[in-house]
Amino acid sequence: MRGTCLFAAIAAALAVPCAAQTVAPPPSFLAPALGYCIACHQLPENIGPRTRADLGPALTGERMRTLGRTKVREIIEDPTKANPDTVMPPYGRHRILEAAEIQKLVEFLLALP
Amino acid sequence: MRCLSLLVAAAFVATPLAFAATPDAVRSDIAARVKEKLPDLAPSDYALGAAALDPELRARVQDNAAAAAPVVASGKALWTRKFKDGRSLSGCFPNGGRRVAQTYPQYDARLKRVITLEMAVNQCLKAHNETLYDPAEPETMGAVTAYVRSLADGQRAAVRMPAGADERFEQGRRLYFTRMGQRNYACASCHMQGAGKRFGEVPISPPIGQATHWPVIRDGKAVTLQARMRECLELMGAAPFPAGSEELNDLEFFLSYLSNGQPLAANPYRNW
Repeated sequence: MRGTCLFAAIAAALAVPCAAQTVAPPPSFLAPALGYCIACHQLPENIGPRTRADLGPALTGERMRTLGRTKVREIIEDPTKANPDTVMPPYGRHRILEAAEIQKLVEFLLALP
Repeated sequence: MRCLSLLVAAAFVATPLAFAATPDAVRSDIAARVKEKLPDLAPSDYALGAAALDPELRARVQDNAAAAAPVVASGKALWTRKFKDGRSLSGCFPNGGRRVAQTYPQYDARLKRVITLEMAVNQCLKAHNETLYDPAEPETMGAVTAYVRSLADGQRAAVRMPAGADERFEQGRRLYFTRMGQRNYACASCHMQGAGKRFGEVPISPPIGQATHWPVIRDGKAVTLQARMRECLELMGAAPFPAGSEELNDLEFFLSYLSNGQPLAANPYRNW
């Protein structure tokens, strides 16, 4: 019993940082030639590079999950639909990113802490 | 109708005034908007650009001033070099080029076009049957403008707006506020809407004062304002207009007029 408890405690302690490390930004989030989202948006601590970028709002899981999968995808594909004055590029409409890359970004954002 | 509305909105990013506004009215409006957006930034610091918005960058501007010395020396050599006919670039400009850079770019009423300092240099070379400099070439045109603009350090930008010039100013203004390229950016997307914010680690400078601190010295080379504009256009996913093109000349004219009254500070250290 004691060994089981100890094992469970160790497993739980390892699970937290492991879960954080599996939420890694896809290449399109970081690459200047692709989304380069990191240039404008900050990520939660321990998720990707730390920056002081604030041209766009900080990205949090709570915010993304509040928006929902469909809305997050729409924003990435064409943010001008919701806000014609936005500075954010229309990654889908202008074919900056392929559909599969946008999908990976959506999943990544929804998995943020 | 909705599509048309979106297209119009996308084409002009927060255009300040009606299209027929005078250059002075546009400048006043932009100054007011910058002041509202960056209330803690003193107008006397606008000419520092992004360095005014970051203490670490501000400290480095002076510390790295020595990086400009070799470029300026190279430019001086070109400026005073004797042509085949015995003349030199310095002879084409009043006072040997001292305290003239603050008046550029200039509007030529006869040619009905903007004449940048780089074009004036090439006009002199052409008049004396010398090989012209590539306007975007750091080793020649960059170095020459680094030197001659250093002769106007501290002078207040004083770009004139004679009759007929407002059309070029308006073209520059339209370009500044028009979204273009794959990323759908306008210059104003960052430098008006995003002024004071950070793109990556670098603060974004407002348009007033932007035209005063060129060329910048990067990796030992002089980068002119139009060379930097071309870099920005590429980042925007747009095919960059050539250096010396009407588009970039009009943009430079627009930005320079906005910066009137701001002190010139040639050759600051930059790595962006």
